[in-house]
Amino acid sequence: MSNTLHGILFAYHSDANLGELTRHRNTCSLPYGGRYRLIDFMLSNYVNAGIRDVGLVVHESYQSLLDHVGSGKDWELSRKHGGLRILPPFSFAEERSGEYRGIMEALSGVYSYLQEVRQDYIIMGCGDIAINLDVDKVFQQHLESGADVTVVCTRKMRGSPRSSTYMSMDDSGRICDMSINPPTAGGAVESLEFYVISKKLLLEMVDYCAAHDLHTFAKDTLLPRLNVLKVMPYIHEGYVARFQSVADYFQNSEDLLNAAVRADLFNPARPIRTKDMSNPSTYYGPDAVSANSLVSDGCYIEGEVINSVLGRGVVVEAGARVINSVLMQGTVVKSGASLSYVVADKGVVINEQRTLMGHVTYPLAIAKGSVV
Amino acid sequence: MKKEIVAMLLAGGQGSRLYALTSQVAKPAVPFGGKYRIIDFPLSNCVNSGIDTVGVLTQYRPLELNSYIGSGAPWDLDVSDGGVHILPPYMREGEQGTWYKGTANAIYQNIGFLDMYDPEYVVILSGDHIYKMDYADMLAAHKKSGAACTIAVLEVSMEEAKRFGIMNAYEDGRIYEFEEKPQHPKSNLASMGIYMFTWSKLKEYLIADEADPNSSNDFGKNIIPNLLNAGELLMTYRFDGYWKDVGTIDSLWDANMDLLAPHSGIDPYDPSWPIYARTPIRPPHVTGEKAKVSHSLVTGGCEVNGTIANSVLFHSVTVEEGADVQYSILMPNATVKAGARVSYAIIAEGATVEAGATVGAPPDGSEDWGIAVVAAGLDIGEKAVVAPKAMVRENVKGGEQA
Repeated sequence: MSNTLHGILFAYHSDANLGELTRHRNTCSLPYGGRYRLIDFMLSNYVNAGIRDVGLVVHESYQSLLDHVGSGKDWELSRKHGGLRILPPFSFAEERSGEYRGIMEALSGVYSYLQEVRQDYIIMGCGDIAINLDVDKVFQQHLESGADVTVVCTRKMRGSPRSSTYMSMDDSGRICDMSINPPTAGGAVESLEFYVISKKLLLEMVDYCAAHDLHTFAKDTLLPRLNVLKVMPYIHEGYVARFQSVADYFQNSEDLLNAAVRADLFNPARPIRTKDMSNPSTYYGPDAVSANSLVSDGCYIEGEVINSVLGRGVVVEAGARVINSVLMQGTVVKSGASLSYVVADKGVVINEQRTLMGHVTYPLAIAKGSVV
Repeated sequence: MKKEIVAMLLAGGQGSRLYALTSQVAKPAVPFGGKYRIIDFPLSNCVNSGIDTVGVLTQYRPLELNSYIGSGAPWDLDVSDGGVHILPPYMREGEQGTWYKGTANAIYQNIGFLDMYDPEYVVILSGDHIYKMDYADMLAAHKKSGAACTIAVLEVSMEEAKRFGIMNAYEDGRIYEFEEKPQHPKSNLASMGIYMFTWSKLKEYLIADEADPNSSNDFGKNIIPNLLNAGELLMTYRFDGYWKDVGTIDSLWDANMDLLAPHSGIDPYDPSWPIYARTPIRPPHVTGEKAKVSHSLVTGGCEVNGTIANSVLFHSVTVEEGADVQYSILMPNATVKAGARVSYAIIAEGATVEAGATVGAPPDGSEDWGIAVVAAGLDIGEKAVVAPKAMVRENVKGGEQA
């Protein structure tokens, strides 16, 4: 019964390589796919697997994240018993400040919460990937394989090696080696850094790490114990997007213009939920052009939109051209402006006749609320 | 707990003039404007006007309406004190109880509900009008005049006046006469079907009306004339915004088209008066390589790779490559396949227009031209033809004509 699985999402990290896009927010609340935030994907995956209790571990710049998830209502996680719990640092705060150095440190920061978890198993990881993961299948595999730890992995190498972990398996399929943040990708599969583990084993590990000043799960906890723990991979065959640079962000957005990617990521059997904002339908004016684009509700389009992804409430005035670009919620492109290879954050205003051009390898990112 | 005002929304009507569109759902649950259902307008008006207690009177085909309203959360009406209540007719001790016999009887049967909140005022609304109105402003006018009843009115042309309930009033707004669909209207103030009552007065007249065996228990036919005859003070409340009765196929189509006209007066994008709706979980819509979209509304989950112009697409509609949709309304999950042509038509929920089929046609000036309607879930076969003004209630086989 999937009710015995508890979900933890770590949302304390802001990836510096995303530049302007994560200056004011945590990577988990980065808008993606028009109407979503990255956190929506794993949060929905948890809920779609029947998980009723989710802990969201936050540390700094989580205002935009809290504003987005609210009480958890839009994920059916606003519950009298259980549901969504937001976990800012507590016991940890006085000892040192600064971002958690790893998920084991983060877990000791919310230790009392962890002790109270009413399920026997826990799935945990960072809520900053876009994936439609069948979490129930991961859990079933974990139970059937008798693994101590199951690691969700992909064969498609999507991360940059310096910030990724690769796994090698022996003949029985058990993970026998890990290569952490290597200079070049190595190993059979890339770890998506989602783990299923029993609550009991995890608590023991957190205690051990706290006592030995260890912070990370993969390097400090799993790697030294690969010979004593049965660590098994779960291979996710579907689409996955990781976000480690603006170019990644742009490429992952353009991926959504592919019908097969959309069919996988937005699988109607396991829908990705997000905050309901009661936007009206998108209006297209008499001379509007819209082709090969993903457009959210509430937009007002009188100009041209080609090969682009638009968030909610974007305005493209008559005579404006938006090509190969990603415009987040509430961005306004005034008449005569022309954008190509641009990633505009929320609420950007591009004034009349401006021309902005980035390149596919180096898209131009414009900070939230800027006026160009 | 005591409330100053409670809204009662009459949502039990069949809406028989919407024909095939209301064969499975009550009129207030009919989809409207890409994102909404008709009932979202009065419900959102209530919330935006600060009314947090709403009774929804249901009778005809309530299933879809009930599940749509649910806990009332999309309208912020899931509150512990007040909120939205579905009020169907019910049985009482000793085999007593009837269907709602008329609009007034529907309220009469729920006197107990109203007394629970012990309101000073009750506003009666109907579930078949598209408009944005601040009921708080109407209430202020009602309080100021001290009237027993205040009726919202709209100025219409003298020609149109023949189709409405007309309020004949003095210059100060005092109503002296009410005429239903007069042949020779004396005034052009049409009733919008929005009645603000002082509850103690309304209750008195509802009880008296119920005791009259000859009454048809209707607000327009009985309650309002009875109040007038008894010399009670009835006032008009003038409204000059957008208001449309969407009780017919033509007016429903018109009102949808109004959303495409920036100056029609109904603006769903106005953040100061949002219209809330229960929205299914859908990704953003997609336009394909071959898409041509102009002057249209498109909603989440749509896949458009054909041509659409002057049309309203609800969520999860598919328009395949080479399909052509003009001046039409495609309700949720409708599909128009490759090369099909749809013009001046309403395709209801989940219906499919197969490849090469034709539904409706542009106006040709002839008497029997009109909007074509395909009922929910139907299949219009390949190369089939649905004539203008046709009201299709059964599948049409490939190549056949309906």
